[in-house]
Amino acid sequence: MSDAREREASEASEAVELRVNDPGVSDAREREASEASEAVELRVNDPGVSDARERERPYRRLSPLTPLARSGIVLFAAVAATWRELLRGDLGPFGLVLLALLVAGAVYGVASWVRTKYWVESDELRVDTGVIARQSRRIRIDRLQGVDIVQPLVARLFGLAELRMDVAGGGRREGSLAFLKLSDARELQQVLLARRDSARGSPSPSADGPAEPGEVATTPGQQAPERLLAQVPLSLLVSSTLLTTEALALAVILLLAVVSAGFGFLEALTAALPAIGGLAVVLVRKVVASYGFTVADTANGLQVRRGLFELSSQTIALSRLQGVVVSEPLLWRALGWARLDVSIAGYAEASSGEDAGPAASTLLPVGDRRLVTWLARQLLDGVDPDATPMTRPPDRARWVSPVGRHFAAAGTSADLLASRQGWFVRRTHLVPHARVQSLRLTQGPLQRRLGLADLHVDSPPGPAHVRASDRWSAEARDLLEREIVASARARRPQRIG
Amino acid sequence: MPELFAPPGTEWQPVSPRLAALRRVILAVVAGLALVTLGVLWWLLEVPGWLVGLGVAGVLTAAVVGWLALGRNARSWGYCERDEDLYIKHGVTFRELVVVPYGRMQYVDVHTGPLEQAFGVASVHLHTASPGTSARIPGLPREEAARLRDKLTSLGEAQAAGL
Repeated sequence: MSDAREREASEASEAVELRVNDPGVSDAREREASEASEAVELRVNDPGVSDARERERPYRRLSPLTPLARSGIVLFAAVAATWRELLRGDLGPFGLVLLALLVAGAVYGVASWVRTKYWVESDELRVDTGVIARQSRRIRIDRLQGVDIVQPLVARLFGLAELRMDVAGGGRREGSLAFLKLSDARELQQVLLARRDSARGSPSPSADGPAEPGEVATTPGQQAPERLLAQVPLSLLVSSTLLTTEALALAVILLLAVVSAGFGFLEALTAALPAIGGLAVVLVRKVVASYGFTVADTANGLQVRRGLFELSSQTIALSRLQGVVVSEPLLWRALGWARLDVSIAGYAEASSGEDAGPAASTLLPVGDRRLVTWLARQLLDGVDPDATPMTRPPDRARWVSPVGRHFAAAGTSADLLASRQGWFVRRTHLVPHARVQSLRLTQGPLQRRLGLADLHVDSPPGPAHVRASDRWSAEARDLLEREIVASARARRPQRIG
Repeated sequence: MPELFAPPGTEWQPVSPRLAALRRVILAVVAGLALVTLGVLWWLLEVPGWLVGLGVAGVLTAAVVGWLALGRNARSWGYCERDEDLYIKHGVTFRELVVVPYGRMQYVDVHTGPLEQAFGVASVHLHTASPGTSARIPGLPREEAARLRDKLTSLGEAQAAGL
């Protein structure tokens, strides 16, 4: 290792220490930090540690297969559309245009690959892109919300992966590196997560989880040691999918169509086809997206892996957990199954619209109720979510919500706010006192006549939303006042200076 | 029994009565435009007179009801600054009370449109990490809006809590 490199590394570590701004920095910590940053520098700047292969500049490139993986589908489509002409050996005008486009695309792809460089510089991930208009992006590592690895099918065939970074206040495309070699992507993910945690001064968010605090220290760049918490067997996944509303609707439509076809109305069958096809696609996509679902506890948070064709691996930092939702569809309740979703700061709902499968917020698509409770307990610092005492709205609420009131309940415990609603899908929302953003009381004209009011607990974007509907107005106000005190008290220890 | 929308401790701080005036100007302009449209219908397109008369009556009734409702709504706004949080309440038919802890504020907006400028008022909007937080105070006198903004930002910084 050259002197320059050593200096660079120590400078970098200084920068980290400065920003952390810890008044009592012990020597041990300083040494640790500088060691860590050295390791990072080494790994990131110089993958092949041998001096012979040392490069002049510290940047790295995406995988050279990137243009191929990006255009794989287009290439396939082009060949599929023109294979007859290709086989005959003469290209029609259509084929020529396609060929020209392909060549142009290939040139652009290669140029784009040449121009794209990335490297880690002290506390930033720098990405330079752009063929014609150059763009230089700096992503602050301590602002990263999550670092996910996604492998679309084509990329997977090439052994490539996309690294997606959730940047606070940025879109999905803002922080994406596509494509890297899978091992490189994993390595960079670990480096980024470890750096983020050391920059934030929190040793590891998994201290919340069941892992022993002692095993937290991991050398960055190494695959973090992990402990499997839960996985979804295929049989359970398929059978639970068949017991959802969509599957039932599919069965009913199918039955109706077949029966009416039996009576001679063949039109019914054709009319029902689009609906049947649509529902079937939804169901299949659900299974495909959640295939091989595993949750593991790592040093950087919980790691969720899933997917049949497109593999995705998400790391969820528990320190940013905002709330938990346990969902129990009607048919699952009889079998004792449930689903677990979480609200994570920065993991906006935007990411849920991308596929019909589980949203980024799903921690377990289906599982035994006890497993779900246990997992929720790990998330909530060991607080049993079922132990929260909940009460029903008063009988007078029937004038406002004649059906819903039977299934609504809400309550608070020393650590949590909880509410439950829904009959078709019973959802229990849980939010720790410390995560309450703001509180709202609302009252419509009818509720005013009846002396009722709703209390809403505002949470960051995500599935969790605790609300106590149609309570006595005095009770609602009382709940509000007590919650203000409770959340202020819970917030205090984690205040940042 | 505590009243649902009772002030927390001290009195509700009202907003400027100019808020009602401002909104009434908008109402008058809209009503005026509606009357002009009706006039055009009657004068140029020869729509039967009784129909136009019905329309005029409707517009005038709506304007009067709106006029009164705007006054009541403007009077319904109130806020209360406490040591650690801000209470805001508003609404006559649909009422709402919002409590925002200063430590949860992400940023504070002060908005002044051209009409608001003419009336010397501004609205202050508090944002938390939750999009559900609807903490907005319209129709504050300009100096009061500036004072509130400065106070909220300094308190927000002092009490800031991590997500």
